[in-house]
Amino acid sequence: MEEKKYHLTKEAFNKYKEEYKKIKEELRKKRIEMKESRDELWRPEDLNCDYEPLESELISLEVRLKELENILKNAIIIKNNKENTPKKVTVGTKVLVKVNGKTTDEFIIVDSLESNPFLGKISVESPVGKALLGKSEGDTVIVQSATKTTYKILKISYE
Amino acid sequence: MNDKKDLIEFLINIGRLKRKKRKGWTVLHNIKNSESTADHIFRVAILAWILGQEKKLNLEKVIKMALIHDICEVYAEDETPYDPVLPKDRKKIKEIIKKRSRTLYSLKEREEKLKRKFENEFKALKKITSKLPRKLRKEMIELWLEFENRSTKEGKFVKQLDKMENLLQALEYWKEQGQIQRDLWIIAAREWCIDPLLIEILNEIDKKFSKKRKFSTKK
Repeated sequence: MEEKKYHLTKEAFNKYKEEYKKIKEELRKKRIEMKESRDELWRPEDLNCDYEPLESELISLEVRLKELENILKNAIIIKNNKENTPKKVTVGTKVLVKVNGKTTDEFIIVDSLESNPFLGKISVESPVGKALLGKSEGDTVIVQSATKTTYKILKISYE
Repeated sequence: MNDKKDLIEFLINIGRLKRKKRKGWTVLHNIKNSESTADHIFRVAILAWILGQEKKLNLEKVIKMALIHDICEVYAEDETPYDPVLPKDRKKIKEIIKKRSRTLYSLKEREEKLKRKFENEFKALKKITSKLPRKLRKEMIELWLEFENRSTKEGKFVKQLDKMENLLQALEYWKEQGQIQRDLWIIAAREWCIDPLLIEILNEIDKKFSKKRKFSTKK
């Protein structure tokens, strides 16, 4: 399991904590169910029936529990004062931008753990996240390799 | 494995990926002679080997992860992010792929789509691996979950390679056949790519495919 620190908002931390509790309970129940199935289906020829899907479920829950333990152990909670309007782009802020002077786009800057551009969550370690970090409303940032993309920051807010 | 018959059955099932066309290229981009899922897996595995070595990652783990990351597609549908809003009319499809998929439907719908996709794929993975020996099945499931959840450094890395291969293929099609929103793909790549080595490679790919395609778009 990767040992790195995760910068999470209080909401994200609580979401993982809740999931941890839920998975732990589910795992406890599945283990009992598994034990009962094993007692009933101990013959090798039966092992491909009900026992195997249950075992796969168990693997999935165990893997997720381990992941969640790691996240909670290594989480650093970001203190965003939601009463105030953020002045700069940080982890946990929502950014409204104009891309290449044409289309508007909105996304949240997050820790790589939570990143999922399809859900509008962009990692602070990505080229776009890095370029926007620390910038203010009205700033224009350029992300460039062969293709040049400009992002004009229209608004920064908390999620 | 109880019987060699189970191995043969598994191989026949996996073999179906050699003929399964990836939906995005055919349905969204109308690409001719597009790749199969197995074609995609092949290049992700090569990337995992070469770049995994450079990153000093556990090579056995990253290559195995790359090899199994899409095997669920034997039974699960190959979904695209545009599916929920996909029109039948090709002209309309051409219009919607000019936009980012995340702007086309609500956050809640996108979250539900991802959840459903995960459940379908996990179910399919359990089915395809069900006759394999217990230890092997467990290993495949764990590797797939690490990949899907990006919960380990290997999972995070291979997930990016999966997307990088997809980008490279998109730009190859762009050069050969057009039909691809090149800049949109680059903009999107700069959002999911987080590894410094992969960012360098992304920039190189961008450079390599920056020249205008040579064929005429006139009919």
